[in-house]
Amino acid sequence: MAAVASFELIADVWIRAQVPADQSWEEAAAFVRARIGPNDRIVAAPSWADPIVRFHLGALVTLRSAAPEDSARFDRMWELGIRGESTREDPPVLEQRFGGVRVRMWELAADDVAHDFVDQIAHAKVELVQGDASRPCRWVEAPRGRGGLGQGPMAPDERFVCDPSRPWLWVGPTILADLTLTPRRCIWQHPVGPEPVRSTFFDVPLGDRLVVHGGVDYENERWRAGSPVTLRIWISDRLAGELVHRDGEGWSSLAIETSSLGFDRATVRFEVTTEDPTARVFCWAASTRLTEAADE
Amino acid sequence: MNDARALKRGDHSVGAALCIGYVVLLGRTASDLAMSRDESFYVHAAKRYAAWLSKLLTNPMAALEQQSIDFAWSYNWEHPALMKLGFAWSWLAHQQWGLYPLESLAFRFPAMLTAGLLLWLIYAWGASVMDRRGALFAALAFASMPRVFYHAHLACFDIPIAFFFMLTAYAYWRSLADRRWAPLAGVAFGLALATKHNSWMLPGILLVHFAWVRVIQARAGRRERASIAWLPWMLAVGPMILIGTWPWVWNDTWGRLGSYAAFHFRHVHYTYEYLGVSYFKPPFPVSVPFVMTLFTVPLTVLVLGALGLHRQRASFRLPSSTEFGDTTTRRTEVLWLGCMLAPLLAIALPSSPIFGGTKHWLTAYPFLALFSACGLLGIVEMAELQIWPGRRWPSVALLGLCLLPGAVQTAHSHPLGLSHYTPVAGGVPGAADLGMNRQFWGFTTGSVAPWLREALPDGGSVWLCDTTTGAWAMLQADGIIPRDIRAASSMLEADFVLVHHEPHFKEVDYQAWVALGTVQPAYVLRYDGVPIISIYENPKRDRSKRPEDG
Repeated sequence: MAAVASFELIADVWIRAQVPADQSWEEAAAFVRARIGPNDRIVAAPSWADPIVRFHLGALVTLRSAAPEDSARFDRMWELGIRGESTREDPPVLEQRFGGVRVRMWELAADDVAHDFVDQIAHAKVELVQGDASRPCRWVEAPRGRGGLGQGPMAPDERFVCDPSRPWLWVGPTILADLTLTPRRCIWQHPVGPEPVRSTFFDVPLGDRLVVHGGVDYENERWRAGSPVTLRIWISDRLAGELVHRDGEGWSSLAIETSSLGFDRATVRFEVTTEDPTARVFCWAASTRLTEAADE
Repeated sequence: MNDARALKRGDHSVGAALCIGYVVLLGRTASDLAMSRDESFYVHAAKRYAAWLSKLLTNPMAALEQQSIDFAWSYNWEHPALMKLGFAWSWLAHQQWGLYPLESLAFRFPAMLTAGLLLWLIYAWGASVMDRRGALFAALAFASMPRVFYHAHLACFDIPIAFFFMLTAYAYWRSLADRRWAPLAGVAFGLALATKHNSWMLPGILLVHFAWVRVIQARAGRRERASIAWLPWMLAVGPMILIGTWPWVWNDTWGRLGSYAAFHFRHVHYTYEYLGVSYFKPPFPVSVPFVMTLFTVPLTVLVLGALGLHRQRASFRLPSSTEFGDTTTRRTEVLWLGCMLAPLLAIALPSSPIFGGTKHWLTAYPFLALFSACGLLGIVEMAELQIWPGRRWPSVALLGLCLLPGAVQTAHSHPLGLSHYTPVAGGVPGAADLGMNRQFWGFTTGSVAPWLREALPDGGSVWLCDTTTGAWAMLQADGIIPRDIRAASSMLEADFVLVHHEPHFKEVDYQAWVALGTVQPAYVLRYDGVPIISIYENPKRDRSKRPEDG
């Protein structure tokens, strides 16, 4: 028993001694800060260390890179890892140790983004379709939520408000916690029912393909009890694709080839519908891209 | 183990010393802990009950009107009243005489007292049946379990029910040979019923044990049989104490008791991370109480407990193996085993809520500590015969060494006891790798109070995340947070936003990013390198109030 007790004491001390010092984090952060490019992404390994990485390097992390719709749009990925953990198995092009913190960097085969719909949502036309007519939603500064558990994604201060009596009926950029609780920067477009909520983007450079992602907020999707949500994508009034999100699928994606359409620019419409809009906190992200790259 | 030894005055002196020492230690370390969510609700309840008690003393007829009772007691009706009454009386006494250095201590003291009494009881029961060194070890091993130490500070019911649960079992056990203990068993059971619903499993455990003992006695041909006097006392006195201490059920008694039972049988399920999965609805893994015990109770205590069980294995043989003329005992080990396993098995049911982690089966741990003492004594007795005959100091040194891991880890766990995991889990970072619950109740906010005081020297506001406004108000009442640092109801209006790190709180993290337009925390509270709280600064706050500018 003396051996067991001694082992426990030594193991306890050893575990604590393995914790990286603040100085290690600071040196690793300084190393990355000196080399990071404008289209680079920073991640933590293991993922629970992410707040520490953001504490040291958060000034370099945009909402887009903190909550990307996929990883195919970054030139390089920097990883600050501890405890021998890594987010990737392939060898990095750069690796440097700072005490208990290991910095690794990979070059990625990034797509060139021609048009990011999330960035451009303020310039879209948003409307509620009601039969043959439609009701426009206005881009306004509107009251926001207080924040808190179960409150869903935070509304931006400016957004399209479609019906002030239904405070959830707005369209705008936010960050969704998807089914795996991964952050996703996306456009909140809560369906109202079988008739669509529509966002229309004009004169969009199409590139080679249109990549679309969508999902429902974690708090709602995890029950796996909601109606499927359909996101229809129209390019120049032609139905180009349909993403049907069923609870349990998590952050879903769809790629639409656009290189063979015969035109470089077009009007692109996103229509969201569902049979029962209860707790359908649906959010989507899309971009047109010029080169092929593997999705996340 | 002996069947039962009479306790001496010296035993109670040791028990009293353990009790007083632990209560003093808890009192001196309590200010490090902000109130937990549940504590803040019980404090609110206690204040309402205190107002009713004051009315009862000054105008009893008015206080006893149903409207008056319902007004005071309708809050937090989902738990019986005994401990909240204790909190209320303690607070009233503090109001009158200023007994405590902190307001929060006025509410916490009664529960701390039960923690101290529980050590006394563990020692007393241990000393009744085993070498007193083992009894002392059991009490100290229980006291130095990190999670126990955390919960022992709180104005909650988990440590009190562990005390009354064990007290009932002890009085029952004494009553088997001495009927004078039967009324005390009834009273203890009533106090347990009036503390928390964990008590509901006691009659089942005791009946199984009683049947076990009686069958053995019958098969052995003993004319003297264990007394069943405890049962009518428990059935009669138990409900009387429950109802008598709980004015809420004085009206519509059956309806309200039914609501109380229904609340716990159909309890809502909160989210709880376990081995990388955030569980929020049944079925929950059967392994939860066992793995959490493995990961949070010091390994040395667990190994000793396993040795103790192995050492007592002959006592667990089924009554059917008893033959005529065999000697009989009260099968204390069987009772302890039942009291240890029943709380674990109840939580292991896939439908049982798991959100509170170890606190839900803390009633098992005093018995685990006693089995650990059995295991240690087995080693010591063997060593005193074969390895260090005639010398006692090596035994004392071994006892101390076996307590040391728990003591060291408990000291390190404070004030983040719910985030602590033992080396079996890989410590705090290992548990984070495994995806174990990191905290709940929002009490860790107390650990960022110094940072907030420094960041807001001229006052300001903080969005509290999982910390209740009641808990924040208590930090202010205790002087830990200045009153000019107020709780903000919205992230957007706050100078600083707190995020308590649990997976399902990532939603809140992302809300803060959008609300404040930054993903960079101004401060991250870490425990062994694992994030516990992130604090975001609102870029729109009045910069002139920043300390570096002022």
